[in-house]
Amino acid sequence: MLYEKYRDEIDAILARYPSKRSALLPVLYIAQDAYGRLDDASIREVAEILDLPYTDVFEVVGFYTLFYNEDVGKFVLDVCDDVPCCFCGAEELVADLEQRLKVKAGYTTDDKMFTLRRVKCIAACDQAPVLQANLEFHYKVTPDKVPALLEDLRRKVESGAQISISGRFAEH
Amino acid sequence: MPDEVTLTIDGQSVTVPKGTVVVEAARKIENLIPVFCYHPKMAPVGMCRMCLVKVGTPKVDRGTGKVELDTDGKPVIQMMPRLQTACTTPVSEGMVVVTKDAEVEHAQKGVLEALLTSHPLDCPVCDKGGECPLQNLTMGWGPGQSRFDYSDKVHFQKPIPLGDLIYLDRERCILCARCVRFQDEIAGDPVLGFDNRGRSWMIISKSDPAFDSKFSGNTTDICPVGALTSADFRFKARVWELQPVPTVCNHCPVGCNMTFDMRANEIMRVMPRENDAVNEIWICDRGRFAHHFVASPERLTTPLVRKNGKLQEASWEEALDLVARQLDGIRESAGGKAVGGLAGPSLANEDLFAFQRFFRETLGSPNIDCRPGTALDLPLDDFGAEYGLTSGTDLMQLGKGTVVLVFGADPEEEAPVHLLRIRNIAKRGGTLITINGRATKLDRFAEHTLHYRYGAETEVLAAMLKPLYDAVPPEGKRAALRGFGDLRGVLANASAERAVANAGVDGPTLEKINQALASATNLVIFYGQEALRAGTSVTAGLANILTLARKAGAPNSGLVALVPGANARGALDMGVRPDRGPGYSALKQPGMAAHEMFDAARQGRMKALYIAGLDPVQADPTLAEALKKVDLVVVQELFLTATAQLADVVFPVLSVAEREGTFTNAERRVQRFRQARRPVAPQRPDWQILQSLARQLSAEAVIAASANVSDKSRRQARRAEEQARKRTDWSYASPAEILMDIAASVPLYKHISYASLESALGVWGRKPNEAYYFDGTSYENTGGLGKQVPAGAENGGTLSLQPFNVRTFSQPAERPWKLIATPFLYDDSTLLNGSALLNNRKARPVAALNPADADSLGLKDGDVISIASGRGELRLSVQRTRLAPQGVVLVPLHVQGVPLVTVVEAGVTAVAIRRAEG
Ligand code: SF4
Ligand code: SF4
Ligand code: FES
Ligand code: FES
Repeated sequence: MLYEKYRDEIDAILARYPSKRSALLPVLYIAQDAYGRLDDASIREVAEILDLPYTDVFEVVGFYTLFYNEDVGKFVLDVCDDVPCCFCGAEELVADLEQRLKVKAGYTTDDKMFTLRRVKCIAACDQAPVLQANLEFHYKVTPDKVPALLEDLRRKVESGAQISISGRFAEH
Repeated sequence: MPDEVTLTIDGQSVTVPKGTVVVEAARKIENLIPVFCYHPKMAPVGMCRMCLVKVGTPKVDRGTGKVELDTDGKPVIQMMPRLQTACTTPVSEGMVVVTKDAEVEHAQKGVLEALLTSHPLDCPVCDKGGECPLQNLTMGWGPGQSRFDYSDKVHFQKPIPLGDLIYLDRERCILCARCVRFQDEIAGDPVLGFDNRGRSWMIISKSDPAFDSKFSGNTTDICPVGALTSADFRFKARVWELQPVPTVCNHCPVGCNMTFDMRANEIMRVMPRENDAVNEIWICDRGRFAHHFVASPERLTTPLVRKNGKLQEASWEEALDLVARQLDGIRESAGGKAVGGLAGPSLANEDLFAFQRFFRETLGSPNIDCRPGTALDLPLDDFGAEYGLTSGTDLMQLGKGTVVLVFGADPEEEAPVHLLRIRNIAKRGGTLITINGRATKLDRFAEHTLHYRYGAETEVLAAMLKPLYDAVPPEGKRAALRGFGDLRGVLANASAERAVANAGVDGPTLEKINQALASATNLVIFYGQEALRAGTSVTAGLANILTLARKAGAPNSGLVALVPGANARGALDMGVRPDRGPGYSALKQPGMAAHEMFDAARQGRMKALYIAGLDPVQADPTLAEALKKVDLVVVQELFLTATAQLADVVFPVLSVAEREGTFTNAERRVQRFRQARRPVAPQRPDWQILQSLARQLSAEAVIAASANVSDKSRRQARRAEEQARKRTDWSYASPAEILMDIAASVPLYKHISYASLESALGVWGRKPNEAYYFDGTSYENTGGLGKQVPAGAENGGTLSLQPFNVRTFSQPAERPWKLIATPFLYDDSTLLNGSALLNNRKARPVAALNPADADSLGLKDGDVISIASGRGELRLSVQRTRLAPQGVVLVPLHVQGVPLVTVVEAGVTAVAIRRAEG
C-alpha cells in the first residue's frame, strides 16, 4: 500500500543509492508521514519494500528518537531544555507552551495539532532558546513570540500545505 | 618469517601469525585475558571492555624511521596512553603487553562492577549458574563488593520469549551481542537485533515467526551470562547435577557430535560436543530439542503378538519363538526368497550388518532394502561412496582454492549444520557455487548461483562437463579414464548456449562456474534429495565432473551425498540393498527392491515381510492392502507406527540413548554413540533381536543339514553342514563385536573399531579453563572423533566415468505444471514425537506457488487446489511465495495430510492445477 501510493517518491529515493538498504531512512520518513507514526505493521512494510530482514529495520527505528511509535500531532515541537537554553529562558518557554497548548510536555493536544517534547541540545545554543517544529528551527523563541509562531503553524495546516512529522520539509 | 610476529606478554615472548589479536596470542601461552564479547568463531567487536590491557610498541624515530634504542641497546617502548581492548588489538612486531598490574586490575574490576549494576544476582535460580562466564570472571577478576545500591537496580519485565524456543532475561543481559553476531555471521539468519539505546537497549527478534532460525539453540551456549535460556531446559536442572554422555545425533546425515546431559536416567538437555571435522561447536535445533522421543510414554515397551485379530502383549520368548517358527516354516515351504526385509537408515551399522546377514545367510533371501518402498523412494546412491570425500578431508580446513558446488540440495533443511560449514568455507576464501531448481538459503552466501528449469538438470551438467572433457590431455590420460569414449557422443552437442536455451540458466554465470571448476585446487560437490530424485544421470554427471576435473580420489575433494537418514550411508555401506552386498560387493543374484516386494506381496508371492525402523504405511497408506496379503509381518520399532499396527508381531527396540552403536555420516565418518540411559522397559537393541532369531533358525538349519547326511553324498553333506555352521555363528556379545565382524568382511571398514573411533580421546576439544573464551559450557570431546572410511576412488587404479545422458523433459500440454517434492527439517518423522516445542516449526501441508502463477490462476492464500498428475490427484491449500519458481508447485515431503505418493512419478511430475470445488 505504501509503495503503491508513494511509488514515484520511493522509486526516486531508491534510484539514488546502489543498494536498497541505503534508502532505509528516507523511506521510513515517508512511512512515518503516511501513517502518522511507525507501528509494527508499517515497519514490516518498509522492510518488505526494501527486502531487508524485519529485525534490521526495527533496530534502526528503535535507535533513533525521531521515529514515533505513537500518534503525534501535525507538528512535533521539540524544545531544547539543555543548559545554555535554560540560561536563556527555556523553562519559561516550556511553561508558556504548556499553558497555551493545555498539555504537559510529552503529550499531544486534544485537537491533535501539536506534540510538545523536551529535548537535549540541538546544536543551536548561540540562538537560545531554541525549538524545532517538525525539525525546522525557530531561534530565540521568547514567550512573546509564541502566539505568532503557533498561529503560523496552524495556518500552514489549514492551507493544506505539505506537513511532515519526519521533518522532510524542514529548512535548515 | 614475514608472516609471523613476535611480541612479549607479561614478560613472556610469543610468536604468532600476523593478524592475530592479543587475546589469542596470550591464550597461546596460557595467559587467559578475561573476555565477554570476544568469541574466536566471530569477528571481534570490542563491546564489553572486559579485556582491557596495557599495550606498548617500539618507538620509532620520526626523522630516521628507525626504532629508537635505549642505553642498553633495547628498543624504547612507548606505551599507549590508555588501556586497549586485547580482543581487537592485532599484534605487531616487538609489541609489549601487560595483562596484570594495578591499572589493568582496576579497569577489570570497574568493568565487572558496571556490568553487575543491574544484574539481578539471581544465580541460585539461573540455568547458567555453575557454568557461567559472568560468575567465573567475577570470581577471578571482580571487585567482590559493589558501590551501587542493591535496591536501585533497574528492573525489566521477564522473561521475554524471543521465539518459542529461546527466552531472554534482560536484567542478566550484558549486551555483548554474541547472540546477534552468531545469527548474522554464522547462522546467516539475521533475526536478532538491538532495540533502543542506553539503559533501554535490548535484544529483539522481529522475524516471522520470531527467532526464525534452525540454529537458535546455539545462542544459549555462547551467551556468556544467563540471559538466553531454552524453553526446553529452563529451570529443569542444575548443571552440576548433569552427567554428559557422548552421543551422535540421529536426525540427519551430518552426524553432529553431541552429549546427552543426564540426571539420573533422564535426558535433561542436549549439548554440542566439539568436533571440528563434523560440527565445530554447533548443532541445529532439531538435534538439540528433538530428544523427547526417547522418553515418550508412547514408546513400545513389550513385544506384541496378534491374537484373535488384535495386537496383544507377549513375552519375548513367545514372540521370538513365534517368528522363528513361522520364518522357518516359510523358508522350508516357499524358500527364503518369499521373505523380504526392510531396514531403515536410522538404524546403527551394527543393526544393519546383522540385518543383511540374517537375510542373506540365515534366511537365504536376497530381498532387502533400506527404503520404504513407496513412489518417493530415492535411487540407491553409490557415487557418494565411490567418489566420496577422500579420507582426511576436513571441511573446517578448506578455504581459498576450494570450490564447493552444491547441486539440487537444500542443506538448511536436509543437513543444517552443513550449511554453516559450507558458508565457512566460502568465508575463508573458497568459491561457493549453488545450482538448484529453486532459491535456497545457501544462495545468499554463494559466489555463483544458477537456477535451472526442473527436468533440464542434465543439460546444465552437460554444459559443465563439456569444457572439462575437452581439456583432458589426449596421450595416455584419456585411456586412464574408463568410459571416456562413451561420453564423446553424449557431449557432442553440449554447449553453454544450449543450456541457456533449454535449462533457462544464465550464460555468463555458467561461464564463470566452468572457469572456477577448471581452476579448483580442491573440489567438493554436495548433492541432495532433488538431485537424487532427478535420477542417476544427474548424480553420474556430478561424479563425472569430479573425475574430469581430476579430483576423484584427490585430497580434500569428493562428493557428499545428502541421502536422508542419520545412517543412510551406513545402510548402503552395509549392503542393506537388493543389488549389492556389504562394501558394495557384487551379488550373484540381486533381490527385490522394496517396491518390488510390495508388488510381490500384492500378488500373494511374498510370505513374510520383516520391517525395522521404517514406516511404509505412513508414507503410503495403500501399502496396507499389500501387507494384508502377507502371512507374517514383523516390525521392529520405537513406536506403534501405522505399519506396526498392521503387523503380526511387533518387537520394541531400544533408542539411540539406551544402547551402543555407530553411524556413518554423509562424509563417511564412522562415529560412535554411547548408552546414556538405562532402558525403562524390556526393549532390546535391533541387532540382538535379529541375533536371537538367527540363532533359533540356524540351530534348526544345522540339525536339518546333518539329518540329510543319509540321502546325500558325504562331500555335499559336509559342505552343507559347514555352511550351516558358518551361518550359525551368531555369538555377538556386544555391538563392538559386530563392528569387528564388519571390519573383517567390509574392506572399506578395515580400520574401524570402537577403539579407533575413540582415537582422539583426551587430546581434542577445549580444555575446561578455556571455557572462559566461549562459555561456561565446555564442549570438551571425551567420546572420540570418529574415523572417516576411504572413498572407492582412493584405491588408485583406473577411474571410471559413469554413464551419463542428456535427457529432455517434454511437458504434456494438458499438465503444464511441475510438481517438486521438497524436504523439510521439521517434518512428520517419528523422531519428532514428543518434542512439542517444535510443533510450530513443522512444515505445513500447503502447496507453494509463485505469486505470479497464483494470480494467473486467480488463487489467494488458503484457496484449495487440486493437483493432478498422470497417476492421481492431491488436494492442498495454496501458499503464495516468491520461493516457488514460476511454473512449479512445491509440495512438502513427509508431512501429514500430504499424500504425495499418490501423484509423484519418476523424474519430473507434470501436473494440472485447478481450483478444487467445494
Ligand atoms: S543475550 Fe547474552 S549473548 Fe545476547 S547480548 Fe545479551 S549477554 Fe550477550
Ligand atoms: S545438523 Fe543434523 S546431525 Fe546436526 S544436530 Fe541437526 S539434525 Fe542433528
Ligand atoms: S543547549 Fe539548546 S541548542 Fe544547545
Ligand atoms: S571488548 Fe574485548 S572481550 Fe569484549
